[in-house]
Amino acid sequence: MTTATPPAAPAAAVGDKGLKKDALGFVSSVVIGVASTAPGYSLAASLGFVVAITGVGLQAPAVLLVAFIPMLLIASAYYYMNRADPDCGTTFAWVTKAMGPWAGWMGGWAIVVADVIVMANLAQIAGLYSFLLVGWDSAAASTAAVTAVGVVWIALMTAICVIGIELSARTQVGLLSAEIITLVLFAAFALVKVATGDAGPQAVDFSASWLNPFEVDSIDALVAGVLIAVFIYWGWDSTVTVNEESKDATEGPGKAALLATVILLAIYVIVAIAAQSYGGPQQLIDNADDVLSVLGEQVFGSPWDKILIIAVLTSAAASTQTTILPTARTSLSMARVRAMPEPLGRVHPRYLTPHVSTTLMGLLSIVWYVGLTIISENILFDSIAALGLMIAFYYGITGFACAIYYRRELLRSVKTFLLIGVGPTLGGLMLLGIFIKSCYDLSKPENSESGDSWFGLGPPLVIGVGFLLLGVLLMILWSLQHPGFFRRKPERADPALLEGRA
Amino acid sequence: MSALVVGYDGTAGARAAIREAARLAPLLDAPVVVAFAFGTSPVGGEVADLSATLRERGEALLEEGTSALRAAGVEVRGELLDMKPAEGLVALAEREDAQMIVVGTYGERPLKAMLIGSTPNKLVHLSERPVLVVRG
Repeated sequence: MTTATPPAAPAAAVGDKGLKKDALGFVSSVVIGVASTAPGYSLAASLGFVVAITGVGLQAPAVLLVAFIPMLLIASAYYYMNRADPDCGTTFAWVTKAMGPWAGWMGGWAIVVADVIVMANLAQIAGLYSFLLVGWDSAAASTAAVTAVGVVWIALMTAICVIGIELSARTQVGLLSAEIITLVLFAAFALVKVATGDAGPQAVDFSASWLNPFEVDSIDALVAGVLIAVFIYWGWDSTVTVNEESKDATEGPGKAALLATVILLAIYVIVAIAAQSYGGPQQLIDNADDVLSVLGEQVFGSPWDKILIIAVLTSAAASTQTTILPTARTSLSMARVRAMPEPLGRVHPRYLTPHVSTTLMGLLSIVWYVGLTIISENILFDSIAALGLMIAFYYGITGFACAIYYRRELLRSVKTFLLIGVGPTLGGLMLLGIFIKSCYDLSKPENSESGDSWFGLGPPLVIGVGFLLLGVLLMILWSLQHPGFFRRKPERADPALLEGRA
Repeated sequence: MSALVVGYDGTAGARAAIREAARLAPLLDAPVVVAFAFGTSPVGGEVADLSATLRERGEALLEEGTSALRAAGVEVRGELLDMKPAEGLVALAEREDAQMIVVGTYGERPLKAMLIGSTPNKLVHLSERPVLVVRG
């Protein structure tokens, strides 16, 4: 045995939760925050749809900025609810605490549904970009081929999440750095080409008005845009919740979340400006389901355009991890308190992952993806709009939950009042407003991808509201058999939570 | 004498490691610390309920592992580590000033071990103390 190594660290440093506090460095915190939102994939999948909204057009960057405001306010709710209950850190647990089990169950359900829907979109992008990467254009144009590869992607990523492959923080730093560098290079190349007049006739010169939300033609257009754009910040909240485990829990986390936010905002706005400046709005609209691959080819030229495709692919891969993992963990949380069937709470004896939850999420995603593709590909795109409803619902309800949970502590200080009371409530109201407004807009069949009418309503609304109603039905059925969880009473924040720290 | 640290997760390899520790402990006049490590990746958020589930599982496993050794007349205690297995075992061995770390192996092919992340492999490289790897 060695005696050269001094016996390190007193007992408190190991065991229980001691060392976990040092597990995450500053860089890793930033990376996890940015990676969770998957900027490359998010932009590729949504920028075109924002530009396509009548009345938004070149104001898309402004819409991206506006969409960030409610997310920022909700992040404050996440931060303070996480402080109250860091042991769960999910909408399900928090809303249950603050507003009771019924609201909490619906919050958890919305997360699960949103993740199943987004997996289909993610698989679509991953399948498409896989073929684009190898330059097999005819396959990329075939729905069957793209779907098949998309299914393989979901299966592969689900398997990765089950066996808990060590995509360590270091690997993530590498992948994400590559993604960000690529996006920045794309923006730089595109903007330089536009400035020097090498971009072609479709290019539009940058104007500061692109960043001005008041230039958007109507409130309707702005709201419709925000509903889609909210989606690109989805996942950003994990920076805030991961924070408690970061090094230097009082200072580092705030800074990491702040930096991740600035990086994200900058990436989105700059890349969006570059994309529409280079490609012109019509090209973004024509290629709305994957904006970046087409532009990448024009901006970088072959074979360098491949790096942008790789960036989107790695982004989609990283995003799957940050999609399946929290969903599986949410359903595990729900199963642990018997709000969902017990098997969902099991962990694999060897891999120590919630393998039943994870596999089920993967299977549901595949069924949803393949089912929709067979029925109508348009519905797949409509489901992006439905996804916005889910996200608005569970983020919004979390905002209200925060203010309700802390209601007795709000008058403690101005900061408490603003950050715990006004901010989250305002964020919740904005998301509620977006939810109602978009329910109204999506109710019109002509606003959907297909233009079809289901029961006289637009397909996205039927999908979104249908899922929520299905949730209510399942919840009632479940509560009849397992009433225990639903007898829980809402709680109030312990005043000690804010002592000395708020 | 200083302790033997044994990694235990309830699998066949881990049970073999316990048996080997039961054989070695009297010979080396060493107490045994049985450890279960369950660090979960914060990527994907919402770690805590999973951690709680794993903690419960770990407590049951430690009970199982330590009682086997106790039955063999070895001085033993359990240690639950909220860290990745290899890092956790190394840190624990340092803290205990352990003679060696004993772990079991699943006997997997190298490629699979590389994909899944083989704890014995990592231990051999990370630990400054002797590592005894027992085939399950």
